[in-house]
Amino acid sequence: MTRRQLLSMVVVAAVALAMGFLVADQVKARLLTPSNQVARYQALVRSVQELEATNAGSRSEIAALRAQIDALETEAAGRSAATQALQNQVADLRAHAGLTPLHGPGVEVRLANGVPGPDTSGQARYLVNFQDVQDVVNLLFAQGAEAVAVSGRRITPLTAYSGSAGQVVIDQGPPLTSPIKVTAVGDRNRMLSALDDASALPDIRARQVQFQLRLTFVGSPDLALPAYDSSLRIPHVNPT
Amino acid sequence: MSTRLRSTPRRRASGRAISVWVIALLVAAVATVQIRSEAEVERSLVGIDTTSLAFLIDDLHRANDALQAEAADLRQRQATLHSGTSGAADQVLTDEATRLRAVEGLVPVHGPGVVIVIDATGLKALDLQDALNNLSAGGSEAIAVNDRRVVVGVPIEQTSSGVAIGGVVVSPPWTITTIGDSNRIAEVANLMTQELRADRRVRQATYRVEADVVIQTVISERPFVYSIS
Repeated sequence: MTRRQLLSMVVVAAVALAMGFLVADQVKARLLTPSNQVARYQALVRSVQELEATNAGSRSEIAALRAQIDALETEAAGRSAATQALQNQVADLRAHAGLTPLHGPGVEVRLANGVPGPDTSGQARYLVNFQDVQDVVNLLFAQGAEAVAVSGRRITPLTAYSGSAGQVVIDQGPPLTSPIKVTAVGDRNRMLSALDDASALPDIRARQVQFQLRLTFVGSPDLALPAYDSSLRIPHVNPT
Repeated sequence: MSTRLRSTPRRRASGRAISVWVIALLVAAVATVQIRSEAEVERSLVGIDTTSLAFLIDDLHRANDALQAEAADLRQRQATLHSGTSGAADQVLTDEATRLRAVEGLVPVHGPGVVIVIDATGLKALDLQDALNNLSAGGSEAIAVNDRRVVVGVPIEQTSSGVAIGGVVVSPPWTITTIGDSNRIAEVANLMTQELRADRRVRQATYRVEADVVIQTVISERPFVYSIS
């Protein structure tokens, strides 16, 4: 190797090294902010996951406690006719409050996200939101539903819907995301007619056209609904 | 021989060039994988911004507190039933029946709350449904509108005569009476009335907090026809 060749190799190596440092520094600087954001997101997501695990544990405990209480009440009712009469009353009230699993004819409605498209509203209107679920449940109750569940969460007389960005929160449950399944037991034909009516659910139907939001439904002779597994406490309400 | 002597440095040079290219390719591949994985993590969180996550955490904390309070109530009820006396079971069942009748809107109730008055022309059933849902999510435990008791399942519909609750038209002004955590409900009512006042259809939107609100109106029991427990 000549001296000239050696010199040129050293120069090339030095330039490559300098370029390497420059590129690495540039890439690091550019990624620093997003990396921190990702770390923050991840910390928040971990918090959500931990809280959801606690939430699921509490709901399991509530379901188990309700089953144990029911068994103890049945045992007590076996010893007294008056207690038996009381238990029958409570069983009926619990069924109407959504605290008992039930089944019967009904409809299953499926709501799923559409695709993003031009939208001047500033909202992600291609996503299923809690108001869509609220509208479908209200329509079903108005048109013959006796009991409703949303993706396995039973609707009660006190149910409230909330959420954001494609997440639907029902009462104290974890957020639900698309696809959302609304199951209703009741007058199947009346509910199907209402869902078929083009004037019903106007916002969802408009977004079906604009964003391909999906709304499908099917009737069934027998659908099962789970019992409500969260809180029905009303600590501020007193019967007069 | 001379050909061989000339070709050996050429082979070495091309070998070095290949090595440099291989190393460059490897470095490029590793860098690409690293950058893409960073982007992938970011993409997986698209749609849930930090603010939404913070609200979600707040909601989950509140939900978990409510669930734990319910579990504590149930454990108390279980302990009473474990005492084994018929009187204890009767008391537990009577209390449960009273509570569930209030939950289902079957009995008159009272308690601290907020009264909201909305006078408007052209508000629809969906507006009322949204308002009532906001109040429920904000801590309302019992609600009536113009002396019509409302729970989930009572139809609120748009008719040619206006908004009907359970088949009866409720003409404006709407007086929404709520019982529950009055501090939380007042926050919701404050925001709601501010938004409503900005709406050109609304003439008046006010609220007041009361120490004891009474809801006398009740819902008639509807037996199940289709549902089987």
